[in-house]
Amino acid sequence: MIKVDTTTLSTVVNQCFAYATDGRVSPDQQNTFLAEGKRLRGLLMNLSSAQFDDGTQAVLDANKQLTDVNGELSNSAAAIANTARTLSDIASLVGNLDGLLNVATKFI
Amino acid sequence: MPSLVSPIEEAQLTISRPRANTWWQQMRMGVLLFPCVLLFSGCAASRYSAPVASFRDKTHQTIGVLSEFYSSRNSYEIDLYLQGIAVDASLPVQTIDASGAATPLGRPVFSPTSIKARLDALNLVGAYAGRLYDLANTDAPTKFQSAASVLGQNLSKLDKTFQTLQGAADPSANKYVGPISSLAGTIGQMYLEQKRDDLLKKAINDGAPQVDVILAQVRDDMDHIFSQEVITGSNERLALLITAYNKDRAKLAYEQRTARLAEVRATANEAAASVGSAPSNLVSSMMDAHKALVQAASSTAKNKPINLQGLNTALEEWTTQIQTLSAQVRLLTH
Repeated sequence: MIKVDTTTLSTVVNQCFAYATDGRVSPDQQNTFLAEGKRLRGLLMNLSSAQFDDGTQAVLDANKQLTDVNGELSNSAAAIANTARTLSDIASLVGNLDGLLNVATKFI
Repeated sequence: MPSLVSPIEEAQLTISRPRANTWWQQMRMGVLLFPCVLLFSGCAASRYSAPVASFRDKTHQTIGVLSEFYSSRNSYEIDLYLQGIAVDASLPVQTIDASGAATPLGRPVFSPTSIKARLDALNLVGAYAGRLYDLANTDAPTKFQSAASVLGQNLSKLDKTFQTLQGAADPSANKYVGPISSLAGTIGQMYLEQKRDDLLKKAINDGAPQVDVILAQVRDDMDHIFSQEVITGSNERLALLITAYNKDRAKLAYEQRTARLAEVRATANEAAASVGSAPSNLVSSMMDAHKALVQAASSTAKNKPINLQGLNTALEEWTTQIQTLSAQVRLLTH
């Protein structure tokens, strides 16, 4: 059985909330970071107990995407310089993680 | 003055003297043993009861804090959800949102069944600590007679010898009945202490692996599920309050701004406390003390004082941790 990398996911959530209160980001984008952070946190709560069959490609892809987005957010200068792209990547991540709830084998 | 003892009685006394010498020897030996017995029985009585009583009390305190934490998880999520609604006037309160997902009001974020299972597991650990306490404080005197008959056969015989003498040939034997009974009782109690130690050792050895598994599971929960829950939850709450303040600040009076900022400060403190993994640390302290208890119980007589010292140190550290960490855990409890 495999699981979603919830450690990285929680880091991404926290970074979203940090950008939501970052004065270098426009108020509209701050609101978007806040909204995405809330959605990601909701997914974190659901996925933290979800288990998947070994080798489930959607999970492997989502974990790879989590690592990428986390790396993107960790570089604040680049993330702020390309906020629109960063937010787009986060939205894509939200969609993919949301889809995982339907393929989870069980929730413990 | 004629002798009050007839020649026949004199002969009987002569014959019985060796027997009298035997019980005198026994009694002298008993008197010599008495201080030693008191010394050892004193050690035996205090060896486990204090640390085990402390272990039980700290276990109950820790379980109380952890149970409160577990039980409050769903109300924490509801509070957080409603706070998000409160700071954004455009958001309605819902049980199911527009995407069809249940909100914390519509369905508990954490299954009540799994929360209850965790509380039950913790209560088992509490029962284990309570049972150890009961064993360490077995009422020895009420069980003395049977115990003495197992170990103290010779002492029992001696006691009977004195009781026989008391009403017959030797009136002065009366004076010795009390001390000898007391000595026999003390030695019997020593036996019980040994038996009690054995029972404690068995209970600890039998229960410890399961207790370790439960505590490791609780700590794993805290590290991988609830730690992430409270850290992200605190950060969400902080972001919500800051966003709300920044949006409203122009139309707020000074007092209102001060009140809002005080709320921000309190939430910032909560967010800082959440990073410290207080619930997990509390479980770790409990595990350390339990490990020290197992070591003390399974150690040889030679190493026992050292291990008991280790147990006391672990209990003291746990005591300090409970005071500090309980306050931090309560910050995360809503």
